[in-house]
This record gives sequence, structure tokens and C-alpha cells, in this order.
Amino acid sequence: MIELRKHERKTLLAIERLGGKASVERIINESGLTDAAVMRAVLTLQERKVVKIHKEKQTIVKLNEEGKFHARKCLPERRLINALKKFGEKAPLKKTVEKAGLEKQFIPIALGWVQKKKWALLNTKTNMLQILGKLEEGKDEKLLKLLGEKEQATVEELSPELQAAVQVLKRRKLLEIEEKTRRVIEITNAGWTAIKKGIKVTTDVTQLTPELVISGKWRKVKLQKYNIRAPVAKTWPGKKHPYLQFLDEVKEKLVTLGFKEMVGPIVETSFFNFDALYTPQDHPAREIFGIYLVKYPKYGNLDAYEHIVEKVKKTHEDGWKTGSTGWRYKYSVKEARRLVLRGHGTCLSVRTLLSKDLEIPGRYFSIVRCYRPEVVDKTHLTEFNQVEGIVVDENLTLRDLLGVLEKFAIEIAGADEVKFRPDYFPFTEPSVELSAYKKGYGWIEFGGSGIFRPEVTMPLGIKVPVIAWGLGIDRLFMMKAGIDDIRYIFTQNLDWIKRKGVV
Amino acid sequence: MPTIEVDYADFERMLGIELHKDLEKLNDILAFVKGEAKPFDEEEGVISVEIKDTNRPDIWNIEGLARALRGFLGVEKGLRRYTVGKPLAEIYVDSRLRDIRPYIGCSIVKNVKLTDTIIRGFMHLQDKLDQSYGRNRRRTSIGLYDFSLITTPLHYTVTKPTEISFVPLGFEEKLNLKEILERHPKGIEYGYIVSKYPVYPILLDSEKKVLSFPPIINSNDLGRVTEKTRHILVEVTGTMHETVLNTLKIVTLSLIDRGGKAYSAIVHYPHENLEVVTPKLETWFMNLKVGYVNKVLGLQLTARQIAELLGKAGFGVEKIGKGQVTVRVPCYRIDVMHPIDLVEDMAIAYGYNNIKPLWRKLPTTGGVKLEEGSFNVARELMVGMGFQEVLTYTLTNPETLFKKMNCRKERIVEIVNPKVQTLTCLRNWLLPSLMEFLSNNLHIEYPQKIFELGTVMLLDEKRETKTKDEERLAGVIVHANASFSEIKSVLDAFFTNFGLEWRIKEAKHPSFIEGRVGTAIVNGRNVGIMGEIHPKVLEAWNFENPAVAFELNMDRIVKIKQTRRA
Repeated sequence: MIELRKHERKTLLAIERLGGKASVERIINESGLTDAAVMRAVLTLQERKVVKIHKEKQTIVKLNEEGKFHARKCLPERRLINALKKFGEKAPLKKTVEKAGLEKQFIPIALGWVQKKKWALLNTKTNMLQILGKLEEGKDEKLLKLLGEKEQATVEELSPELQAAVQVLKRRKLLEIEEKTRRVIEITNAGWTAIKKGIKVTTDVTQLTPELVISGKWRKVKLQKYNIRAPVAKTWPGKKHPYLQFLDEVKEKLVTLGFKEMVGPIVETSFFNFDALYTPQDHPAREIFGIYLVKYPKYGNLDAYEHIVEKVKKTHEDGWKTGSTGWRYKYSVKEARRLVLRGHGTCLSVRTLLSKDLEIPGRYFSIVRCYRPEVVDKTHLTEFNQVEGIVVDENLTLRDLLGVLEKFAIEIAGADEVKFRPDYFPFTEPSVELSAYKKGYGWIEFGGSGIFRPEVTMPLGIKVPVIAWGLGIDRLFMMKAGIDDIRYIFTQNLDWIKRKGVV
Repeated sequence: MPTIEVDYADFERMLGIELHKDLEKLNDILAFVKGEAKPFDEEEGVISVEIKDTNRPDIWNIEGLARALRGFLGVEKGLRRYTVGKPLAEIYVDSRLRDIRPYIGCSIVKNVKLTDTIIRGFMHLQDKLDQSYGRNRRRTSIGLYDFSLITTPLHYTVTKPTEISFVPLGFEEKLNLKEILERHPKGIEYGYIVSKYPVYPILLDSEKKVLSFPPIINSNDLGRVTEKTRHILVEVTGTMHETVLNTLKIVTLSLIDRGGKAYSAIVHYPHENLEVVTPKLETWFMNLKVGYVNKVLGLQLTARQIAELLGKAGFGVEKIGKGQVTVRVPCYRIDVMHPIDLVEDMAIAYGYNNIKPLWRKLPTTGGVKLEEGSFNVARELMVGMGFQEVLTYTLTNPETLFKKMNCRKERIVEIVNPKVQTLTCLRNWLLPSLMEFLSNNLHIEYPQKIFELGTVMLLDEKRETKTKDEERLAGVIVHANASFSEIKSVLDAFFTNFGLEWRIKEAKHPSFIEGRVGTAIVNGRNVGIMGEIHPKVLEAWNFENPAVAFELNMDRIVKIKQTRRA
């Protein structure tokens, strides 16, 4: 004899009464239990092999607005033929249409279908409509009638003829079709045997209640064993954004390496974004394809930097005292005041070098939002975060630059190997690109860097070498997160963010 | 970053070594000139090379690339000498061009053997130079002509838009200049450069035959170079004399590299009493101190070693002195502005990967920005209350910021050149970003609780950038029973755990339901808003569930907290 709990027995017997196979909804009705109780019971019964759960596809069809209209009035071709019958065998088209009272949009449909169904023929010369053959009710009309009466139907339960009609009405765009999965519970052979042999109801207690604990009754009852393998509802914890969490970690590592965070504005003057970085004023990067220009407000104020602007101007024009030839063109202070959305974090390095709080030796970093007018695709964002920084000290050399890069590759990317290649930035010379190799990931370009040109440092009043670096951490994040589309960083897919574990 | 198309077989020939189509090897070589090849099309036999250096137009074609690389590869050493023969043409420049396009440079290259591949290469170079170095032909533009069809002297002058007609390249009928601007594709593309002037530039030969309408289009008769052309006239016009001469140099040198012999031209500027002989292919000198090189590179190179490395990089060494090397810089290295440029080329010749990295112990202390600690506490609190952190763009559009939030439009930071119509300005509040985010997730399981700590940009006339960035914290809860008390409870927990006393004050805000919205007050100051989102706003974002939300000014809150602590 099988031992079942009360709800399980009730559920099983309800299925038996329903012929041994029924949907969850019907079991709920039959048993009078709640849906949660039935579901729980069904899972245990399945576990004990007395029932089987089948998933059945269910296609629900309903009439759409136009379908409902036709259900009330009959299909347009039927209305046309009915009108024709009133004239006898034959009548002018125009008159028939009038008689049928057809709405304008249904006239061509009606005319098409009466001919397609071989109910009538239109003589195109005389414009006379002539009845041809039998005018029996078609399967499409039967289905229309059925749906008109019953609101909806399950395709799988329809006769083959009506199932075919579904296709016809679907093509005529009169239906709304929805696919559902329905769970059907069926008693197994073992189940039938168990029912025959009789079911014993156990008095196991499911829930340990405060009352049981306080009264001490728990000693007398048997606490039911759960199916601890049964699936449970999902819990969605509050979480940090996976990318921001990753940036937090990068930040922490940089701080550990002795780097201090820099700050600066998003809307920036061209002076800080370009001029102070020795980018000539007619450089293509400053045109509409290279930088977001601010429409309003248009110009910033550089009064506080008058002396510096003067030196930068001279450096651009003829090299000033830097030993450079300069770019040799007429520099415009107005252009320097032009406001843009910063295109890189290097503006913050310039501001830091100008700051009275600058420390030498000093190591600085920034993780800030930057903007470029790029078409957003798999590898480009128009708004993105950049990790950049500088090292300032007497006697820094290219070896120090390579040392900084190697350190980043090991500490931040966890690289096993590094490689350096020549790189180009208008504001650094020499310039170095860093590639990092990590087992399981392969080579990635992990950074660009260089030593600031004398044309950059001297006008800012900096007399020691400055190493400038930037890290390609987006690529690193993408690799770690297993994504190959950079747009995922700013994804609007809440489900993805919720499911994404710590990177 | 220019990308150039290179015929692979031709490239190998010019380079003088075989690479067996090994992409990795090719890239190792291209690294010397900051180039990178994309995987190439075997059938076409063409490789795309991306050149990172925007300041070296001399390597934007096969001839230039090969010229730069042969030294590094040991095929050739030191300076490559280029010479120019006697003047073969004179050009007279009209003073009326002064404010339009005043400068011209010319060279004649004889006995060039052109193939279809080479011609395509030159057209490609011309294109790159016009676009990038010539700033889309505004600064310079190039024309090539069949010299044997031209009678000198030439006249670079001006004409009225309808006065002169000629058959432009690619056309069969004669058009006047005005018609060219209206009908020829190049006229439509570049017409704006000259159309604002009452007269247009024109280049004529002594028989008044049209060579070209600079910077728009050449004549189909004289300005068409084919495989049969033996003697070529190169002409560059522009607004900056130096750039004109540099561009002329680059084109002329590449023709010499193809076996041609160059001759000069004399350009007369009668109104300035000036005569300029072009092209100028002279080398120039730069002194490089041994101490400086070693100070930058962190190496101990001798003057001799430095000379050796410079030779590999294609420079000439005039003299090796005591502690100093006199360098002869080739005429085409227009990127060399400062001794540091030579130092980099030496380092590349030495090999970056042969230099030992050094991590110095420096007495610096790391640290994050002042507010960072408090911002992190805020984020932790939100996470602790079950909110999912999200990340959104600061770029947005007025419809999102105002219309969909049931608000009146305000002045905001707007962009001249948005890339898409949905990203035209910077947000001045954060909540719309979260509403937009949620509207993209209507089908996801409820309740939904999200937050963001993000920047908004406000106008501020007093600041040097006329704007101010402000950090905000916003959160939204959406579900069937979301209510004011729920969001108030969140804020209560937030402030309590943040160590601040707060109170709430009735407020009005069009994005929230009247009577269900309040401002948060800390220390007598307004630090934010909270309430139930107005059904109009819910509808605008297609929400089917009620939503409650808040937005706090974190900069202000942190400041209050810091002054309190002090």
C-alpha cells in the first residue's frame, strides 16, 4: 500500500475521476485545492512515479476585430452571393454590391473569393455576376461561426477539417493566434496499481509552525521529508552592475599601485582636450567626425589660464622655447575656448599637471566617461569609460614607461607575457602600444602610452618627464565576461544584468 | 587613422624581400612604421594597412612605405638622396587668388613607367592626401597631368563662374565652372570650398587650355594620366604654402621611386615680387645630443651606436662629434619637429622589446577622489535594499528628458553633431534614464528595483566650462502594488544608514502624482525628490504597473556629511 499525504491523495484521486489524464487547471477545479498545492503534489507524485507530466503545445485561436465583424455579418463573399440570389441567377455587379451593403474595403475581397470558391463568375465585358454552382457552407465559415460563438478554440482539439480552416482564416488575417504550453498530468501504470491497492494517508507535517514549537507538539508529529532536489523560485539579489564592479576592482588595484584619482569636467574646452596636448587646431580629430561639439553653450572661459594659453599658442605657432619647429600656423584663442564633450581622459592629466596640488614624484589615474561621434556597433561606443593616467618624476625614461605598462599587464590583466609595439599619439613621443597575453584568453591590445612631448610639458611649466598611459580595459572586461559585443557594457537588458555573475 | 590599400606583389617588389604572405611577419615589419595589416584578400592580392601615425603622409602609399621600411629591414641604409633637374616650366600666380587659394607648387617627372597598378596606387595616394593631410581639399589638393600635352608657361588665375568651359574628368561634354559645381560629383562634394567667392581658381596653359579647376576637378583632356603617359606634371594648390610644398614633395618622390627623373618649375608671385622654385627636396640638419638620447631612453648608447640606429631609421649622419651627432633629416620627414622625434625612431630601430622595463619605487600614496567613499556607501546601501545597479548613457534627447516625463523643456547642453537623433544632448536629470531602461524591460519579472549613481550636466555661467557635472543617485521600484510608503521607507533607511537626519516636505513636480510627491530635506537644504510616478509618465513609457522613484543630489549630500563630520 502506498503512503501519500492528504493533498497528494486528493490530487491523484481527482485525476482518476477525470479519466486518468487531465490538465492542471481541471485538477484544481476537481480537487478544490489551490494551484500551488496541486503543483507541489503533482511534483511529488511524479517523483514517486505514480503520475507523468506531459507538456503539450496548445495553439489558441481567437478572431481579431475584422474576424469578429465577419462572424456577425458573414464573410463578404457570402454576403455578396446572398444578395445575388435575391436577383435570381444573374445580376449586374454594381447592383449586387449595393444590395449586399458591402463596405468599400470588402468589395474586392468578396469579388475575389466568390470566384475563387467557384460560387459565381464575373463577365468582365458585361460586368454581370452569374451564379455558378453549389453554395454550401465552407469549412472556413464553420470555423468562423464556431469562434464567433465560443470566443476561442484550441487548434489541437479541432477536427482536421476545422484545423485546415484555421490556415485559411489565418491567411485572410482574421485570426489572433497564441501558442501556449499546457501541462497534462497522466496516471502511470504504477499509479493505477497503487490506486487499486488503496492509498494510506500519512499524517506527516509539512510546515513546522510556531505553534508546534511553543506547545512542544513537534515531538508527537512526524516532520515530512522534503524533496530537496525540487526546483525553487528564483531569488534576485540586489547587485552592483557587473561592469562597474569590474571598474571598482581596477580602481582598487591602481590605488594599491600608488595612483591617485584625478577629476575634471565632461564638457571641456578644446584647449584642454586638444591644444594643450599639442593637437593643431585644424587637426581632423577636431572636426565633426572626431569630436562632439557643444551647440549650447558654445565657448568656455580661459581667463584663469591666460599665461599658459599664450605659451601653448606660441608652441603651436613656432615651437616657442621647446626646441620644436611648432605646427607653423596662426593659432586662435577663440578656437581654444570652443566647448566639446571630452574625447579622452587625457584632459584630466593636463588639468592635474596645471594644478597647484601636483606632487612630484606623482602617480595619477582617472576612470571617466568620454565621448566620440562614432556609429555604435560591436566594437564602438559613442560614450564610453576610459582609464588613463600619468607618472611624473625626475629622470623617468622609456624604461619606466615600459615598466608601468608591464606592471599594469600583470596586476590588472593578470597577463603571463607582454609585448610592446610602436604607437602614435600627437602628444606623446616615444609612444608605445601594450599587448598582454593571458593563458586561455590569447593576446589583447591592453594599452596605449607614451612620454609627453616637450611641446606639451614645457608650456604647462613642467620640467620633468611625464609618462602618460591609457588602458584598454573594455576589451579585458569583455573577455572576462565572455561577451564579444561592446554594447553589452551599456546594455538595457535587465535580465542579462541580473543573471550576470561577478566577472 | 589613414587606411591604405596596397598591392601585395608590388609591395614585396618595392620592399626587396619576400614575406610569403605571412600576416604575422608582415605585421612585425609594419610595426616599425606604426602600421597594421588586416587579414588580406588572397584573390585580389590587396592588403589594407592601417597607419596609426596621422602625421606621416610620406608613408601613405607603397612607395613611401617601402622607402621607410627598407632601412629597418637592412635592405638599404641611411639617407636616400633625391635630386631635381633644371626648371622645365614657369607658373604665374594671379594676386586675386590671395584670399581664395593663393599657393601653387609644380614639378615635372619624366620617363615614368606607369602600369595600371601604379596608377591606381597614385590615385589612392592623391585621395588620402587630399582627404587627410589636405583636410578634404580645403588645405591642399593635387592634380596630375600629361606634360607632353601642355605648353608653358602656366597661369594660375581666377575666372568668373560662367566665363570658361571645359570637359571635366569623367565627362564627355563641356561645362562651365558653375555647371561643374552643380552637376559634377566632385563639384557637388567640394564646391563649398570655392562657391562663396565671386571668382573661382583656374589653371591654364599658355594656349589658354584648361588644366584644372582647383580644388574641384581636372580637365579630361590634359588631366588624365594613363599607362601611355611618360612625362607627368604634378601640381598642388592650397591655402598654406608649407603644406602645398610638402604635398608636392610626397607625390614627386613617389614618382621618382618609380624610375622617373624630376625637374623643377618656377612659381612667380609678381605682386609679392617672389619667385619660388618647386619642388624643394633639400635635406636639413638637426643636432642630437648623446646625453639627451640616453636620458629619454634609459640606455647607455654611444654616439656611434646612435648613428647606427639613425641609419636604420633612414636618417643620414653628417658628423659624429663628441657627445653629439649631427643628423641629416630627409626632405620627406615632415613629421620631425623636435629631436624627440629622432629619439623615438632610434628606439624603434633598437626594438622596444629589447629594452628592459623598469618599475621604480616612488614614494606616492594612492587614493580615490574625495567623494568616492561616500558614493560607494550609497551604492552598497542600495544593493543591500535589493536594488539592481544599472549603467546608462549620459547622452540622451529632449523627448526623454522632458516630454515623456511630463515636464517643460529646459536649457540643456546640446550637441552640434549628434550621430543619431536619440542622442542629441546631455541629461540634466537621471530619472529619465532609469525610466527608459525599465521601458525596455516591461516583460521581465516583477517587482523590478533598479538604481544608478550617475552624472548629470547642468548649465553654470560662472564656471570656465559654463557647465557643472553633478552626481545623482536615482532609484525606481515597479510592481503592481508600488506605493509612496515603499519609496519613503527606502529613503528613510538610506539616510539613517548614511548617518543623516532628514525630513520630507510636500512638493509639486509634473512627473509625480500630486499629493504623493515630496522633497527630501537635510540640514535645511533640498537634496532630492521622491514620489509616485504620474500615470501620464507611466503611459508615455508604456508601463502597465505603478512606479515609485527618487532622485538625490549626491554631491550635496556628501558635502553636508563632510562638513558635519568636520
